Amino acid sequence: MELLHNLATGFGVAMTPLNLLFALVGALVGTLIGVLPGIGPIATIAMLLPLTFHLEPTSGIIMLAGIFYGAQYGGSTSAILVNLPGETSSVVTCIDGHQMARQGRAGTALAVAALGSFFAGCMSTALIAAFAPPLALVGQSFGAPEYFSLMVFGLIAAVVLAHGSVIKAVAMIVLGLLIGLVGTDGQTGGVRFTFGITQLSDGIDVAILAIGLFGISEIITNLSEAEEERSILAQKITRLWPTREDFRRAWPAALRGTTLGSLLGVLPGGGAMLSSFAAYALEKKVSKTPSEFGRGAVEGVAGPESANNAGAQTSFIPMLTLGLPSNAVMALMIGALTIHGIQPGPQVMTERPTMFWGLVVSMWIGNLMLLVINLPLIGVWVQLLKVPYRFLYLAILLFCGVGVYTVNNSPAAVLLAALFGVAGYVFMKLDCEPAPLILGFVLGPLMEDNLRRALRISGGDPTIFIERRISLALLIATLLLLLILILPFIRKKRQEAYQSEG
Amino acid sequence: MRTFRAVLLCVVGLILGGVEARAQSAAYPDKPVKILVPYAPGGATDIVARVIGEQMRLILGQAVVVENKPGANGIIAVEEMARAKADGHTLLVGNVTTNAIAPVLYRKRYKINYDTDVVPVQRLVDIPAFLLVTTTNFPPTTVAELIDFAKKNPGKVRYGTVGAGSYPHYDMAYFAKRAGDLNMIAIHNKAGASGVINDMVTGDTQTAFLNVASTAAMVRAGKIKPLAVVNHQRLPEHPDVPTMKEVGYPEVGTLAWQALFAPAGTPNEVLETLARASVAAMEAPAAQEIFKKQNFNIVPNKSLDEAKTWLTGEMAAWKKIADEVKIETAE
Repeated sequence: MELLHNLATGFGVAMTPLNLLFALVGALVGTLIGVLPGIGPIATIAMLLPLTFHLEPTSGIIMLAGIFYGAQYGGSTSAILVNLPGETSSVVTCIDGHQMARQGRAGTALAVAALGSFFAGCMSTALIAAFAPPLALVGQSFGAPEYFSLMVFGLIAAVVLAHGSVIKAVAMIVLGLLIGLVGTDGQTGGVRFTFGITQLSDGIDVAILAIGLFGISEIITNLSEAEEERSILAQKITRLWPTREDFRRAWPAALRGTTLGSLLGVLPGGGAMLSSFAAYALEKKVSKTPSEFGRGAVEGVAGPESANNAGAQTSFIPMLTLGLPSNAVMALMIGALTIHGIQPGPQVMTERPTMFWGLVVSMWIGNLMLLVINLPLIGVWVQLLKVPYRFLYLAILLFCGVGVYTVNNSPAAVLLAALFGVAGYVFMKLDCEPAPLILGFVLGPLMEDNLRRALRISGGDPTIFIERRISLALLIATLLLLLILILPFIRKKRQEAYQSEG
Repeated sequence: MRTFRAVLLCVVGLILGGVEARAQSAAYPDKPVKILVPYAPGGATDIVARVIGEQMRLILGQAVVVENKPGANGIIAVEEMARAKADGHTLLVGNVTTNAIAPVLYRKRYKINYDTDVVPVQRLVDIPAFLLVTTTNFPPTTVAELIDFAKKNPGKVRYGTVGAGSYPHYDMAYFAKRAGDLNMIAIHNKAGASGVINDMVTGDTQTAFLNVASTAAMVRAGKIKPLAVVNHQRLPEHPDVPTMKEVGYPEVGTLAWQALFAPAGTPNEVLETLARASVAAMEAPAAQEIFKKQNFNIVPNKSLDEAKTWLTGEMAAWKKIADEVKIETAE
């Protein structure tokens, strides 16, 4: 009954004409900046922040939240069409989504992403409404040892991401870990691998790495191909809507992705980020045809897209109840709330029920708006691919440059992205995939930091990782995963041995 | 037609208004003023800059653009500001970390001479902090009990900070030193104040210095307890929490401040205009309301000379603390 009561409160707030308008504005602005990779949600929200000084806090946060999920949504559009991930979560969408676009199935990929996101949005809204208070406690049971074990699990799962050689995947993960070490060491304040360059002293932003490795290297590759090959690609666009077969394969993936994403999103700091990677790895493991992954598998779009949207929604729980932001956009929203004297904390749900439930319901409404806005637009986006590439690539490159610059308003970042673009091209030629590198880059510093913090807390005693129950469970899960990974490998080797004997 | 005419009138009015505002202050500013912020959007320094910037736009009659240049303890933003043309169109809102601690601790990392290339224009606000303890499996409820507990359990009390060499780190290390060389372990959390609070709630750390605004919700929830406040006087919302001075440690704890800076060599009359405008900006009702909600104290200097004396004093105080505590940080 409380569930219905909470939802009723939420609908009462979110359905006022003014708040509907703010949700719509947020969703529209978000979609726009998401599709144009040049302007990120951080820069946009920062610019709109003074505007929210004069708004009701609920209306303000509804609009900012709309920009956030609208941008995530729009970000998958550019990931699918031009292999350009705006943020970490759409890195995974690039893998199969862009392959589908190359096969002339861009419309299908976009529709699956839209429907999957909407489905995830509905489910996680219901989940928050029903279980927000107990879910808020989950975040509080995660300390440094638990995070370390979660990251170990994530890294092992990253190997599954690769669809080629395992050795190469491991190499890319390790390279990612090393790039992640650049910057200030949180435990001593010393700077590492910066070569005296001040701009590197806070490390490299993941957007710079992702845009370089995916977006810019894609442009280099495309330009190195002959003009005719590319125009054939563009002419192949046939279907805009998924087939019955696509639906049949996509919906279980969306369901799994939603579940995984909702759970991981509740973990503050890194949880939401992991969700799309984890969903991709899961889809590949349960698939009967894992070889299709990386070559345009529809599950590879449906799973991660649902997971990332569900994770984005549930990550509002640690943000509002613990004040722990899962990314820079969330940190900004906390800033917007504190301006109004609202401190995120355990009592937010009871002290400000109208804001909390209004926001939750507005997210559902916003997702519905996004679906209505975007489904008809798919046809328009797909037409974009028909623009001759010699014009299109210039625009993409420009947006990449602007986007990378606005991360920290730093010219050095643009040079770095160009450098990573060249590196990405070399990796492509060597058949090394960039996705595991990005995951290693994201998880590595978190893992190191939590390992060292955990050991300081325990006074140097490593048994802390098995004394804590959640940490122990995660480590056992990691071992199991490792076994699953290694067994088929051993079996294959033995078969080869028998064959050579016979 | 009517609406069209109304819109037209509005546009004409806006243009005329702009021209008028410009005519009043012909000399300065004659183009948009840029305020650099050495942090990403959303934090306390960014909010102060945006609130002041919004008001100064109205006062100066020119657009005020806030630009975030985060990184390297503010060195990137401070260097860019110091190298900009010294005409008052490029300013910086910095804080105790970027404009007093970093120049003392990381002198060698700067490519400018901080002492001669940067001038303070106006001290803006300062932010009270709490000395807190967790309520998760931790008995002490007063400063004296905390000291006593730490003495009886050497190496068992862990304190949270937002990073090695950050001011919450120095504050606690300095407190430990003054309270009789307490043996406490620092646990750094890069996730900022909220991360440090979460460590206290899970019981991984027991104590920390943190600013009042970011801890208010968890204090009300009873998850953490303030033992003392670092402030000029007790807080009206927490009348029973004594100041650090009252509990016998007047020098311990940082009242983190935000201040407005300009490149050295900026003409004196421009600096005077800016100093006056920033005070007027802080006194605007809209700004007052936002600062009050977050417990920010408005503490302007009386003159440009006083601002200089104040900053020199702050840096000297930090040099003394750094020499006394000796936290190992890389150059």
